[in-house]
Amino acid sequence: MPHPAAGHTAVLRAERVQLGYWAPEGFTLAVQDATFSVAPREKAIVIGPSGCGKSTLLKAVAGFIRPTAGRIQVEGRENLEPGPDRAVVFQEFDQLFPWRSVLDNVAYPLRINGWKRRDALARAREFVELTSLGRAADRYPHQLSGGMKQRVAIARALALDPAMLLMDEPFGSLDMLTRARLQQELNGIIARTHTTLLLVTHSMDEALTVGDKVVVLAGSPSTVIEVVDVREVGPPDSPRYAETRLHLRDLLGVIHEEQEELDVVGH
Amino acid sequence: MSSVTEAPAVLPARPRAAGWARLPLWLRRVILLAAIVGLWQAYVSWSEFGGNPLLFASPVDTTTAFWDGWRDGSLARATWETMRLLLIGVGIGAAIAALFTLFASLSQIGEDILLLLTAILNPLPGVAVLPLALLWFGLSSKAIIFAIANATIWPIAINLTTGFKTVNPTIVATGRNIGLKGVRLVTDVLAPAALPNAISGLKTAWAFGWRTVVAAELVFGVVGGEGGLGTYINNAKLYLFTAKMFAALVSIAILGVAFELLFGVLERRTIVRWGMQRS
Repeated sequence: MPHPAAGHTAVLRAERVQLGYWAPEGFTLAVQDATFSVAPREKAIVIGPSGCGKSTLLKAVAGFIRPTAGRIQVEGRENLEPGPDRAVVFQEFDQLFPWRSVLDNVAYPLRINGWKRRDALARAREFVELTSLGRAADRYPHQLSGGMKQRVAIARALALDPAMLLMDEPFGSLDMLTRARLQQELNGIIARTHTTLLLVTHSMDEALTVGDKVVVLAGSPSTVIEVVDVREVGPPDSPRYAETRLHLRDLLGVIHEEQEELDVVGH
Repeated sequence: MSSVTEAPAVLPARPRAAGWARLPLWLRRVILLAAIVGLWQAYVSWSEFGGNPLLFASPVDTTTAFWDGWRDGSLARATWETMRLLLIGVGIGAAIAALFTLFASLSQIGEDILLLLTAILNPLPGVAVLPLALLWFGLSSKAIIFAIANATIWPIAINLTTGFKTVNPTIVATGRNIGLKGVRLVTDVLAPAALPNAISGLKTAWAFGWRTVVAAELVFGVVGGEGGLGTYINNAKLYLFTAKMFAALVSIAILGVAFELLFGVLERRTIVRWGMQRS
């Protein structure tokens, strides 16, 4: 029987996904059980405390690692390899090719995916403008600020017209003001491109500002403990926003305390 | 001492550079070069040993020999022959090094083989393999090219491999994410990312190659057809044309400086422009 959250039209369906990684000490389980889905044009946020495996989950959707159990389906396909249909924006500023100009960083992935040179450049120009980088189009990445570099990464990913855009704490290395501005800009851009989004963050405010729904991942190894609809929370000063934020904090905090209790019992 | 909490309203004057340091770089170099040539001339003029033109050429004699050598084409031909061998040798060496590195970056056994071979062969001075090369290729320029190639493969391969191994993983992940894999990932992401190492490997290889080619030519003098600068020096020695020996050395030095400048241009156009140079 399909999970109630996994609709048939979903872009992404994660069912009972279990994920781990090999450390020097042996195999470590990071995600115990993640079940959720993302509908077309939906902006889904995965939130959880540091080390809960949320980045691992995103990497699995991107195709960099395989689940040890469960299934990840993107547009009905499984056993995913990395590919431009799931374009990723990483947290690290050095995800751009330093030897390519801003415009070229956006155009090059189009070229290797079959676009003709002229069409690729025209489309790259369009997305560079969309991310307010028009004046920096001919610069090289090392001449850009952190916020501008992340904009280039967003332009590059969106130009590929992915089935879904994956973002791994994309604003995590930015200062507060730049982060807030880029969150707003991201909302504006996605409102125009209608891209389906899966964004990983540990910031509740980022989740509430950007997301339609928040997948709360907690525990160690972690499970999806709740999927919160945050479509109608309103601006940060509204009561609904504060209420939802409290709820998220409880979800994240409660599990944390439970875990500590379990640890005590375990000893 | 009180701690400085804010910038003073009037900045203290920048410490004034001494007279010498205030001169522009090119002028400092010209003055120093002139001084060295002056000392050289002084030595020739006043020392007993330097006074014998068969043993020690004066700057004027050297310049004359240099000029004549380039005008009658003998020095130009010798220089070109050396350059030709060097370019072919380094070209072959770089190509083999690139193949080795490609192999090493795609498989663990490839990497093990490369590291072992590098450990064994890199410390060998370039000319050390020349007798073997003579045995295999005879008294021909092939032997020299072999020696140069051997001297250049290992520094390039070791630098490239280090470069490939230290490529930042995020950029590789990005490459895979946009759809690159296999050889294309190597040529389009790993190779440019390793460019700083490639250039420094090429510089080392070039220096090794220079030493090897001139030494090899010295070892076996005239090799069928045109001889290079080493042969030129050796012949000049046979006939005690000391000034010609000096002129050939000056040619080598000038080419050395020229290639240093060329590598500088290459770096400014690539890794400096892209902010990839490592200090």
